[in-house]
Amino acid sequence: MRLIAYLLPRIAAALITILGVSVLVFLALRLIPGGYADILLGPFVTPEARATIAERYGLDQPVVLQYFHWLVSLLQGDFGVSMVTRKPVLDEFLRRAPVTIELAMIALVVALSFGLPLGIASGTAGRSRGGVARFIGAIGASVPDVVLGSVLIFVFSVWSLWLRVGGYVPFSEDPVGNLRVMLLPGLTLSVFGVALVLRTTRDAVMRVMTEGYITAAVARGERPRDIIRLHVLRNASIPVVTVVTTYFGFLLSGAVVVEVLFSIPGIGLYTFSGLLNRDYAIVQAGVLLAAVVFITINMLADVLYAAIDPRVGAGAKR
Amino acid sequence: MTALAAIRVRLGRLLREDGLSFFGLIMLVLLVLLGLVGPYLPIGDPTRIGAGPRLSPPSWVFPFGTDELGRSYLPRVVEGIRATFLLSVVAVVITAVIGTMLGMLAGYFRGFSDHLVARGADILFAFPAIIVGLLVAAVVGPGQISAIAVISIATIPLFIRVVRSVTLGVSGRGFVTAAEVAGASSGRVMLVHILPNITGAVVVQLTYAMSIGIIIESALSYLGLGVQPPQASLGSLLREGSAYLTIAPWLVLSAGAVLSVAIMSVNLVGDAVRDGLEPLKGRLLT
Repeated sequence: MRLIAYLLPRIAAALITILGVSVLVFLALRLIPGGYADILLGPFVTPEARATIAERYGLDQPVVLQYFHWLVSLLQGDFGVSMVTRKPVLDEFLRRAPVTIELAMIALVVALSFGLPLGIASGTAGRSRGGVARFIGAIGASVPDVVLGSVLIFVFSVWSLWLRVGGYVPFSEDPVGNLRVMLLPGLTLSVFGVALVLRTTRDAVMRVMTEGYITAAVARGERPRDIIRLHVLRNASIPVVTVVTTYFGFLLSGAVVVEVLFSIPGIGLYTFSGLLNRDYAIVQAGVLLAAVVFITINMLADVLYAAIDPRVGAGAKR
Repeated sequence: MTALAAIRVRLGRLLREDGLSFFGLIMLVLLVLLGLVGPYLPIGDPTRIGAGPRLSPPSWVFPFGTDELGRSYLPRVVEGIRATFLLSVVAVVITAVIGTMLGMLAGYFRGFSDHLVARGADILFAFPAIIVGLLVAAVVGPGQISAIAVISIATIPLFIRVVRSVTLGVSGRGFVTAAEVAGASSGRVMLVHILPNITGAVVVQLTYAMSIGIIIESALSYLGLGVQPPQASLGSLLREGSAYLTIAPWLVLSAGAVLSVAIMSVNLVGDAVRDGLEPLKGRLLT
């Protein structure tokens, strides 16, 4: 019950946020120079054709009414039709989603399996400026995806070393071949994550280490291993959960640069090509879906907070 | 004179206690200077086509090699530093002004304005930077203005949240209540009593926004949504160079290395500022 009372206002806030996002996206697309008819029919449009289009898509109605029309069709799963392929945009996104999800999972797993242990080790090392871990954190947070990806492409296109650059194959057809293609972009995405998780974990652990209950545990003579496992990890985990869920949300909403760089046919590349083809229904749907995914992931983070820290659900302030 | 001496003492302490951040500070100062005086340096003309052979590897005459039109790459990279820093600084200043204002309003007045600002920040936060870049490029067309807009949109939500939470803490303190009781107007309380006490948090957040800004600028320009040719930014240089990655890797590598050093130096300076304001103590388990 307490959990529901804790979650309800958050669900309400998330819904309001999604509504706000939809208004912004709707208005942004109305602001595109030329408007929908010009985009649809190209530059040599006759006034009659423009009027027909305006009537068919309801562009002659007041903007508020247009917005509600659009919102209702969104709720029915109609995200518009691609002008190039004439297929529903939502189907195209769902078809590409597994690729982006796989990429995000690879990056997340690598980021956690390196970032967490290094962060804990460096946070419990006691020095105020952890040497090696800080160096890794500084480098990882500073090399942008484009640069790292380019270097990897250069290295692995000269010496193949089992991994491959480009030539995507679906996981269902050839799991090993799929991994050979997906590992490099996954690693490229993960490096920033490693740095992010490492720094956040380290800061959180160091904050917890100065708390009274750690001193008490040391005074009781508990083993360092037990102190870390029983007292430090759980108390340090909230900021880490925040950062990791935000990172995962960004990964899922489409790592455009990395997908473009490695020609991985995920939703990021699809949205980007939609922009290049002036196929704005795709861009619109891409932005909306990204925001909804992101907000949902943040909701899950709220649930996780309550699971980690019983005080969160009990009305105490986070 | 005393201010100079104080700065020297601080720099000396930084060098002794945190060599990495000291290195970052030096690099940052060098890069900014390079960007400022770049056009007057005797390193060649960034726009002169056919200054040397096409795609020639680094040499004494062309330290970063030449690009596909035979332009010397070093002056182009220097020009890129200038554009990248300029765009990011302008965007981050916009973020800082608007973010500080809205964050303080929300944190000081609470209630309805707080809800409004917090929801607004949530809405903006839900847009991933590059995706919003695609949308803005669709609406206003790719270019510097849209790059600045995207960086500001991407960095402002976090800025508002940080300023809001610090303001919440400060407005509960005695001197704020005292000023209110003495009859100071809300504007005066915010400007004279709260603002000086939140500058630390603002400066720290500013450096992080700056590093995110440089990353976003380079990603946008790499995708062709930022700075347009013939102007060069570090991101657009990466875009041009990536076509020749396998035959002329020095193009991507030199621009990429400079870009990474720029981001790292901003990050390290930010760390040092944060460490100075709220040192993390930590302890050893023994």
